[in-house]
Amino acid sequence: MSYVILNGMYKDDSFIPRINQMVSDEFQRNNYVGDTVILHDEEIKPCLGCFKCWVQTPGICIIDDYGREVAKKMIQSDVLVYITPINYGGYSAELKKAIDRSLGLISPFFRVYENEIHHEMRYDEYPNLVVIGTLDKPNSDQEEIFTELVQRNVLNLFCPKYSSQVIYTDDDEATIKKKLKNSLMEVGEENE
Amino acid sequence: MSRQLTFLMCSPRGDKSASHSIGSYLVSLFEEKGIVVKTFGAYRTLKNQEKTEEMIKSVNDSDIILISSPLYIDQAPYMTIKLMDIISEAFQQGKLSNKTRHLFAISNAGFLEYYHNNITLKIYEQFAKQNDIIWAGGLPIGAAGTYAQYPIPEFLKMLEQLPEEDPRNEIYTKPTKILDSVIRSSVNHLSKGEIVPRDELKKLEFIPMPLESYVNGANNGWPQAAEEFGAKDKLRDKPYER
Ligand SMILES: Cc1cc2nc3c(=O)[nH]c(=O)nc-3n(C[C@H](O)[C@H](O)[C@H](O)COP(=O)(O)O)c2cc1C
Repeated sequence: MSYVILNGMYKDDSFIPRINQMVSDEFQRNNYVGDTVILHDEEIKPCLGCFKCWVQTPGICIIDDYGREVAKKMIQSDVLVYITPINYGGYSAELKKAIDRSLGLISPFFRVYENEIHHEMRYDEYPNLVVIGTLDKPNSDQEEIFTELVQRNVLNLFCPKYSSQVIYTDDDEATIKKKLKNSLMEVGEENE
Repeated sequence: MSRQLTFLMCSPRGDKSASHSIGSYLVSLFEEKGIVVKTFGAYRTLKNQEKTEEMIKSVNDSDIILISSPLYIDQAPYMTIKLMDIISEAFQQGKLSNKTRHLFAISNAGFLEYYHNNITLKIYEQFAKQNDIIWAGGLPIGAAGTYAQYPIPEFLKMLEQLPEEDPRNEIYTKPTKILDSVIRSSVNHLSKGEIVPRDELKKLEFIPMPLESYVNGANNGWPQAAEEFGAKDKLRDKPYER
């Protein structure tokens, strides 16, 4: 089984690297193979909104840079993890840049799913999704938005199972470990 | 002194975009009311340090900030978020004076249903709150591609030609007239330094046609679009299959 962690931290963040390490350790403890992409270290250009990943080179972004590699890692993992500071309730710009570039993972064709318009699947299988957001202190409005956002992403990326988790920078070690363990258990990737 | 507005046009598709088409329409109505508008395209603003600084100065001088952005995977795209981060940083560094500013946002979705935009509008609201900007509301626009092709004033003129019993009146004329009236009312309120009443924005909360009709229409378009690139038979390829 495999995982990939998309780390959307901003350069000066000293908390997320700790979380990232704990998540990787947890996966390794469960015999997963995978890696972390520190997104701000990679050269990834922004999506141009051209839809050529649908109509010219279906499934592959027209921009030939590391953004393609990230999309490939996303679809080839069993568990996809986003780690991000919660930014106004949403994701960091760094994480969003990579996610925008993954549009080719879904089919251009529309369908009605759960009484709403969504896309058809391009692939037969999609990863489970774990989204970990960090905040300096509780913020119920932003946490609600964040949770809802993850649910919407799951619908659009066909993730069979998912979990979203908010971690505060002043959570103690034991609380963080428990939250991470719970998240991985929710997607069924953690042995008891 | 004239009131000022900073228009952040956040689509990478430039003047081919719905964000440009709808945003510029609001801008023209604001200008009719004597409001001075400075426009910043996200792509160019982020590429050029001088432009970024000019944008911050404009935000500092403005009474109204208008964001018009596409919806990408349930949120604003990277470039919109990056612009918001730059404004937040300027605020934190004390670079923005404490004048009263309003934020109004237009969110343009490809799907038919307006409500795919709801989360991103809430995110804009949080951005405003964090930076002591008054959240004045937002337009959740579904099937926004229509307005990328046909700017609202021209579209309304075209639609006037349709016979009364034409079914396209229900799908296009009625929704566009409602959108136009909500836009005009929003511009009126904002020009007077007011937020846009929730009841006014709620008028956009309807779905103008059966979902299946929209799905079928859109799905017919993809093979045609791919034909130009010789990719018509590759639309369902799985290049990264394990
Ligand atoms: C990377 C990407 C992701 C998108 N995700 C969504 C989405 O989640 N929901 C939706 O309704 N439309 C989505 N769209 C469609 C755009 O919102 C739609 O084309 C919109 O009109 C773009 O605005 P613009 O013309 O101002 O660029 C997406 C488009 C792109 C390129």
